[in-house]
Amino acid sequence: MSGDTILEVRDLRVSFSLRGRRLTALRGAGLDLRKGETLAVVGESGSGKSVLAKTFLGMLDRNGRVDSGSILFDGKDLARYNKEREWLGIRGKRIAMIFQDPMTALNPLKTVGEQIREAAALHRGLDRVASRAVVLETLSRVGIPEPELRYRQYPHEFSGGMRQRAVIAAAVACRPEILICDEPTTALDVTVQAQILDLIKSLQRELGMTVLFITHDLGVVASVAQRVAVMYSGQVIEEGSVREVFYDPRAPYTWALLASLPQLGVKGEELYSIKGTPPSLFKEVVGDAFAPRNPRALEVDFKHEPPVFPVSDTHWARTWLLDPRAPRIEAPETVRRLRARLARGGAGAAATGGADTGKGGAE
Amino acid sequence: MGAYVLKRLGQSLITVSIVVLTVFLLLRLMPKNGYFTREDYVNMDRDARTAYLRNLGVLDDPFTQFGRFLSGLARGDLGRSITVYPRSPVLDVIGEKAPYSLWFGLAALALSMALGLGLGILMARFKDRFPDGAGTVYVTIVRAIPSLIWLFFIQQWVTALLGWPMVFYEDRPVSWVLPTISLALSGIAWYAIWLRRFMVDEENKDYVKFAVSKGLPWKRVMRGHVLRNALVPLVQYFPQQILLTIAGSLLIESIYSIPGMGGLLVSAIRQQDNPLVQALVLLYSVLGVVGVFLGDLLMVLVDPRIKLAESSGKGAAA
Ligand SMILES: Nc1ncnc2c1ncn2[C@@H]1O[C@H](COP(=O)(O)OP(=O)(O)O)[C@@H](O)[C@H]1O
Ligand SMILES: [Mg+2]
Repeated sequence: MSGDTILEVRDLRVSFSLRGRRLTALRGAGLDLRKGETLAVVGESGSGKSVLAKTFLGMLDRNGRVDSGSILFDGKDLARYNKEREWLGIRGKRIAMIFQDPMTALNPLKTVGEQIREAAALHRGLDRVASRAVVLETLSRVGIPEPELRYRQYPHEFSGGMRQRAVIAAAVACRPEILICDEPTTALDVTVQAQILDLIKSLQRELGMTVLFITHDLGVVASVAQRVAVMYSGQVIEEGSVREVFYDPRAPYTWALLASLPQLGVKGEELYSIKGTPPSLFKEVVGDAFAPRNPRALEVDFKHEPPVFPVSDTHWARTWLLDPRAPRIEAPETVRRLRARLARGGAGAAATGGADTGKGGAE
Repeated sequence: MGAYVLKRLGQSLITVSIVVLTVFLLLRLMPKNGYFTREDYVNMDRDARTAYLRNLGVLDDPFTQFGRFLSGLARGDLGRSITVYPRSPVLDVIGEKAPYSLWFGLAALALSMALGLGLGILMARFKDRFPDGAGTVYVTIVRAIPSLIWLFFIQQWVTALLGWPMVFYEDRPVSWVLPTISLALSGIAWYAIWLRRFMVDEENKDYVKFAVSKGLPWKRVMRGHVLRNALVPLVQYFPQQILLTIAGSLLIESIYSIPGMGGLLVSAIRQQDNPLVQALVLLYSVLGVVGVFLGDLLMVLVDPRIKLAESSGKGAAA
């Protein structure tokens, strides 16, 4: 695709063996990550966001495997990597990841400094003194005050927010090109969430990283990302700029997801929630995976899987509605309301509740 | 730190006192006939028997006797054996036997740790594969089959196979090998099964995934994170295990005729050798309590989350 694509995922299929059965977690997922951007990946829990991210690091659980597809990064197909030696050149060094729960991501018996240092020393080939200096510098960069003291402390001496900063420090100490954030604020207090989001944003700018930001909270998307990929049931079903996906969503699942945004609720009205459950991943999905939950599904939705239809150069969706033969179906009222809202001031600011407390705030 | 140690020592002293006093009083409930060897009893007349008992001091009320025990203890005198080693000072008896149990015990403990921890690491590393299966078979056999059976098997068949002596000779080191191995068999199983379990627990924790995502090679994650953390809950038991080797093993020492401490407490109780029972109970309870205390101190060193002020650490195995 475009020349500035840093990571290109095509038709990725991933399955897990579970008590003798196969569960297909990714059913031909596709995605483009562009150099220097933040791409938000959204979708209900279970849609395959974490599995997708883990394939970029070769960190699928032991019962999982990549069945087909490609993950192109710097001219190499990561989907074909299967030896640890191959991954060691990528993992933590060029692509780093921070996990959801900072309370459990650090080894409780090792000092925070040492846990950051071990990776920095390994990837940058530094000795103890030099790598320590890098860690101290990184600790202050991520807004941890008194880095000398914090270096020697153990994770339990850190608050949740400080721990997430330490985890972020460990991830960025090696200056990765891509930083994957898998729901990095879900486990944190609301006040701390905003600070961590700000930190990720400013680090991205300062270090020139590309960020893949996984969240199920559409509210934060506009404040962190330039582009969005919407996942449903193991596929990316719509991808485009934040503006395009929020203003002009095309896939019925994206409509449903937007309609259930609490920010769109009207006082006194019950908040919309998507009815039904996603299809079983143990079975072959026929047609559009969202069709059974879509009250206005077309006949073809139950028979054939929709291909990717371009909406613009930068926006595409997987839905038969974009087929020239499809009847014209409008987005529901609530989603159009979002459009009006966005026109007035931006959903992001409304959703994150003014997320600009300076970094390093008290925690 | 100082206050904590004092408090723990005070608690330990109370525990030991209760154990010793209880045993002391229970001994006093036993029938008086027990203080005689069979021949003595037959040979003495009524008066001689009474004089003998009075001489032993067992006719006084129990609390007077306990006072006497304590004042002896203060002077470092634990009395003389009555029936097991008639008239020998109890401390001499223990001093003569303890080294055998201690050396065999320590050798066996070192062997258990080396082989058991090694096996545990292999089982965790190759979980659900051959080494794990083989290790599980070993652990199951050691635990499920009564030890008497495999101990006899080793003594009868392995000695025959290797042409080694069937009993212990102080001057023939080759005769020390099988008792040590026999003594270590269950320790190996214990270390292997617990280390495997703790390693598998640790392996599934998030911090391991994060360590891997940082790009550390799996071997380094296993060594620097998983193994290190998995050893922590075991550390607590090290001091106890070391100290209590002195108690010896009843079964193995009697099979190989090792003159250790193994059967001593049992025969002392059966033969109502009060001073010997009291001394052994005192010794074992002091060692037990000190072992637990040292274990807790050790935990503070290896686990930064545990503070001295808290009561005893949390652990698993038993
Ligand atoms: N190790 C595994 N074994 C079996 N199923 C798995 C495994 N990991 C993930 N899955 C399944 O894959 C699907 C996608 O999971 P995930 O990517 O974690 O979803 P999310 O979008 O919430 O991050 C879920 O149905 C999950 O149950
Ligand atoms: Mg997830």
